[in-house]
Amino acid sequence: MVGDNKLRILVGTRKGTYIVEGDARRTRWKVGPAAHEGSEVYHVVADPRHPGDVYALVNSWLYGPVLYRSRNYGKKWSEIGTPLMASTKTRPPKFDGNPDTPAPVYPVANLWHLEPGPATEPKTLYLGADPHLLFRTTDLGATWEPIPGINEHPARKNWGPGAGGACLHTILVDPRDSRRLYVGLSAVGTFRSEDGGTTWTPTNKGVEAPFLPDKFPETGQCVHDVAADAADPDTFYRQDHGGMYVSHNRMDKWVRIGKPLGDDFGFTVASPRAAPGRAYFIRLDGKARVTGEGHFQVHEWNDRTHTWRKLLPRTAFPGHFGVQREGIATDDLDPAGIYVGTTTGQLFVSPNAGKTWHQVPFQFPGIHSVSISNPAKRPRRA
Amino acid sequence: MTKGDEEARSSSLASAPLMLDVHLDSWLREFGPRGSETVDADSVEHLLDVLEKRYPRLRFKIRDETGHLRRYVRVFVDGDDVSGTTGVATSLRGARTIDILHSIAGG
Repeated sequence: MVGDNKLRILVGTRKGTYIVEGDARRTRWKVGPAAHEGSEVYHVVADPRHPGDVYALVNSWLYGPVLYRSRNYGKKWSEIGTPLMASTKTRPPKFDGNPDTPAPVYPVANLWHLEPGPATEPKTLYLGADPHLLFRTTDLGATWEPIPGINEHPARKNWGPGAGGACLHTILVDPRDSRRLYVGLSAVGTFRSEDGGTTWTPTNKGVEAPFLPDKFPETGQCVHDVAADAADPDTFYRQDHGGMYVSHNRMDKWVRIGKPLGDDFGFTVASPRAAPGRAYFIRLDGKARVTGEGHFQVHEWNDRTHTWRKLLPRTAFPGHFGVQREGIATDDLDPAGIYVGTTTGQLFVSPNAGKTWHQVPFQFPGIHSVSISNPAKRPRRA
Repeated sequence: MTKGDEEARSSSLASAPLMLDVHLDSWLREFGPRGSETVDADSVEHLLDVLEKRYPRLRFKIRDETGHLRRYVRVFVDGDDVSGTTGVATSLRGARTIDILHSIAGG
């Protein structure tokens, strides 16, 4: 379909998918009816190469993972090919301690993240799933191929799940070279491929793993989320179990930036197109896993001045809020919009890069993911 | 169902076609038959093979990729839940009614 000029917030919740349409000022919102009612939806994402196309990663407690697509911004959904492990009649064996034993085949537990490919490959999508699986399609989801370089990685037998499962939740494609890929795996860390996914190199140098005897291992860090800088594809912002980090060299080395905040735990990070060198983190209390300051807060990292700024006054939204790894998004407008969904169903919006904030007047189920379908034609300045 | 009941039913129907009346949970009807379905099958695995062939969207909804029943799927054979016992290997010789339901779960 031909894309329209509306901005939409795509919300994945514990009980279904919601599409929220905004006005031009990004202050009035219309919440559409729920789809996939009753099912966990871990990620809802638009494909900007095909205006109108939206994907929903549905993980039903009853019938398992199912991938849906809408071609009209969520008005109607159709099931498409769901990437799964190769069928087998054999139950996965318990690991016998022999390093030569092939890695067992487990059924796919959950679909975590879908990433549209580059503009030069308009039918390519990537999808990350539990247990630590990466898939690619080159026909917009009719068929999927597993990426053996990561799915059958030699060190895989040593990989375990994090609290949210063995999720492959972050997939990033270098906009200059689509053969350079990055992935993030819970309780394993980040990897980079320079050859389109054939081989992968761990990229966790400098990231602390406070829960392991070796505090700086090659892998084993529990990466929670990574965002690429919009203007500099070599720069990445990382929210890890072990703190907040930045890398300026394609993840070759990470530098911790979160220590000035004290407890720099969290799950999510975003960096907007209109504000290169800025990254937005939701700092959480490392034990309670909610906003530890007693109110909703977003911390802005300025990578040019190396300084932090709090975006909300203490009095704006008092309470303890949880935010998950897909819980923050930014739009492509200028000034950037920032959108945050909480585990208790609040959806907070700033239409002006954090200057003012409001809450979408709708109580959602617990929110897993927030992403943005941008207007097909971007206005110069909103 | 006792062993005696099963033997009696098996002997009386040994040579008859194994026509089963199959009912799906309302959640699973999105992917399969809307009403009851008649299937000729001699085991739960065979029954699911037939159903998935008729309704391809059912594939992997009742069983995962290893061929085992999903965690919250319950299969009742003439009222008996076989999900946690013989599972997909359950013989359907002499059976008449199959209910594929979801367990009490969720929140």
